[in-house]
Amino acid sequence: MSARPVTVDTDVHPYFTVYSAGNFGEVAPQRLSPMSWSLVGDPMERGTRALARRLWGRPAWAEGGYYVFVGYFGCRPYHNLAAYCHLSRAIPGLEPRDVTDAYFEGVDPPPEVGALRTGRVRQVSGASMLLRELREIGPRLRALEENVAEREWGLRAAMTAGSPVGLFGVLRDTRPVLEEAWALHILTTSALVPLGALQRRVYRRLMRHGSEIAHWLSRPRELVWDRLHAAAATMDPYGPGNFLDSSFYEVADGTAPWQDYAVRHKRASTAGAQATVSLLDPAEALRGMLPRWRSQTVRALAVSVGEVMAGREHSKSLAMRTLHVYRRLLPQLCTALGLDAQLWPYLTIREFTDLATDPGLAGRAAPRMQACRAALRTPMPEHLDLSGGDGVFRPWLSDAPPAQRGVAPGIGVGVVMTPDDDLPDEPAIIACSSADADIAPLLPFAAGVLSERGSELSHIAILAREYGIPCVVGYPGAATVPPGTTVSINGSTGEVNILDQSAR
Amino acid sequence: MNVLIVGGSGYLGSGIARACVNAGARVRVVSRRGTAPIGEGLSGDARLPRLGLAGDVLAEVRAQTTHVVLCFGPVSWTSAPGEVLETHAAGMRSALTFLRELPALEQAVHVSSLLALGRAQGRVTNRELYTGQQFRNWYEYGKYCAERLVRDCADVPVGSVRFGPILGPDPRGGRPDTGYGLPAVFPHLLAGYPVHLDGGGDFPSWVTDVSSASDVVCTALTAPIGRGTWTWFDPAMPTLREVFTEVCRAWGVVPRIVEARPLRYLTRVLGERFGLAPELVEYARPWFDLDPGVLRDIPEPWPVPEPDYLAATGRALREPALGVAGQTLREPALGVAGRALREPALGVAGRALRETPVVGKGMT
Repeated sequence: MSARPVTVDTDVHPYFTVYSAGNFGEVAPQRLSPMSWSLVGDPMERGTRALARRLWGRPAWAEGGYYVFVGYFGCRPYHNLAAYCHLSRAIPGLEPRDVTDAYFEGVDPPPEVGALRTGRVRQVSGASMLLRELREIGPRLRALEENVAEREWGLRAAMTAGSPVGLFGVLRDTRPVLEEAWALHILTTSALVPLGALQRRVYRRLMRHGSEIAHWLSRPRELVWDRLHAAAATMDPYGPGNFLDSSFYEVADGTAPWQDYAVRHKRASTAGAQATVSLLDPAEALRGMLPRWRSQTVRALAVSVGEVMAGREHSKSLAMRTLHVYRRLLPQLCTALGLDAQLWPYLTIREFTDLATDPGLAGRAAPRMQACRAALRTPMPEHLDLSGGDGVFRPWLSDAPPAQRGVAPGIGVGVVMTPDDDLPDEPAIIACSSADADIAPLLPFAAGVLSERGSELSHIAILAREYGIPCVVGYPGAATVPPGTTVSINGSTGEVNILDQSAR
Repeated sequence: MNVLIVGGSGYLGSGIARACVNAGARVRVVSRRGTAPIGEGLSGDARLPRLGLAGDVLAEVRAQTTHVVLCFGPVSWTSAPGEVLETHAAGMRSALTFLRELPALEQAVHVSSLLALGRAQGRVTNRELYTGQQFRNWYEYGKYCAERLVRDCADVPVGSVRFGPILGPDPRGGRPDTGYGLPAVFPHLLAGYPVHLDGGGDFPSWVTDVSSASDVVCTALTAPIGRGTWTWFDPAMPTLREVFTEVCRAWGVVPRIVEARPLRYLTRVLGERFGLAPELVEYARPWFDLDPGVLRDIPEPWPVPEPDYLAATGRALREPALGVAGQTLREPALGVAGRALREPALGVAGRALRETPVVGKGMT
């Protein structure tokens, strides 16, 4: 009898069998090491399950031994598209299309598993519980930031003293912090979809051009990234902004082969430069256009959506800072434990934590390394249909072609630049295959962002809204537009025009 | 003087073009259609880089232009924010970038509006732009954005000239647009409907005529205005009641001006159903407290508005379609009465309006 080959893939959920790289695909590396997966996927799954339990009791579909909301196939992280679409059906007034538009680039949702449908009473009570959860976001984020800072200080102290005991202490204490960070990220990410749908519906009823105005008004008042980029400029190796120079999500970004997938744009804050003219915010301008109660309702919704957007970015930054603690910590502990420095990325965090008491766990790394090498040779589709049950990775064929869409309103005209280029003297449009908070320092000086990847609530969409510049995502070939080409983008309609070079 | 007028095919733009030609300037007009009733028409778009001009035309414009007037964008109180900001914010940014590329530029003038001040509180002079005011519609906000951008553009000699409602016969001929702005109420009055005005309309209307407004812009180019802000209105300061009375006189109609707050409420609630922009109700109240002394910033001698331009406005509303080729009847321009006048029983004024095609844009 031949032994079953070692694989790092998670088991396919028996009902929800359509997966999508979705939001992961935009910003996370194409492939993640098993260690990073255990620090990202596993707590994300726990956080989503815990949220589902709080909202709807213990729904059978969100329990059990399978990963429900995430998956790891061919070393690539996936969201379970079918599970998230099912989750959307458990919230009144929400459609699966809202979820796919918000985070999965508008792909077609998979068919509903009707037998698991949530009852109306559960739906309504779940929605009210969600609102209650949202009230706690602010205090939870503040407490979490304190905890993250404590872990960073703990790491500084242990590293400076060269104390393995201190390092193990940090390892032990960091895990609950990471879980809370992902739990908050899941909460804010999930809540934005129904909040946005509610906002659009109410606005349509209350005023002319309601949908368009929702587009203009939904922006965070202040994002955390500016503060972090300013902190990064101090070059403090243990400071809160230090993680910005590393890969997001991948903690083994100094180790082959994972460093090949962990490409970051290293960006320093441009000190002394002036941002564009600050005009009165459209939300303020709207104040006099409506009767008082309507105006208050409109502004309250806009502020709520903006705050949750800001909370989403804040929680993500805290998750990334916590991952950075692991990034610094694990190689040091690996030396203390006498483990081969090449092997630790192939263990999970739980195995690594238990190594001190069970050194035999290190033996799991070598076969996984072989499995990962094989997996990395297999191309993994963006959207995955695993309903065949035969272990073959088939792409999920969406009927709708990926559509380019405007996700931050306004008109931007300028010359194309990539995130690695120096800023030109004239207005510039940042064109890239995907974008994340790493380009935040460029945004005050850009006239717009054009990206191949992205959805309505992508991180880059939220950032662009915060800076008041237009953003179009889903534009095929954005990264291949030659720098210096003049383009015009419409962040409301998604229209992109490559303007005649001869006009220059 | 080599003048480039961006948006010069409109109501005020063509008046400015005429004033510049009369002053001996060479005039080029950039518009999306590429045609201009006065001056040389160029096809372009303020929202595009380099105004959408290309090749030899661009090179010629760059090399020769010494003066620029920015008066682009339609007047529309019901536009969505995207459309307004696309024109007045993105368009102005693009236009200002273009101005920086003109080596021979001596002076540019942005045609602004008193509407940029929205519902400002306290006395307003040329210095104020944002005083914490509330805006009644996105058009006002768009005009505020445009003037804000102009004021913050410190490296270009560009100033702003503000106007209130501009009346008078359309310089291009034909019947003036009554779709938006103060003229939107004319069909309503001429059809015999009552209009509520606070205080019976005995407050300044800040109107002027298109001819004197154009002359002021021309003066701003030549004086020059520098980076300052001017405001121009008819120094006679006709009240709103006088404006309505004079405009209606040409039709033999006495405007039914009443002071009845319930009517204001009804107009607000039901106005849109009957084709009247609800925002119009807001303009039936006194505007902000504008200091009449702002006129003194304009070097004398001041231009003199056409005598009897208010009655001429009324007479122009009786004119058949004339002038600009290719313009078609735009039904929304008929405004409230225009639509209401589909009914046969509304009298001679209504029928005449219904039968009269219009040309042109609205008046600020």
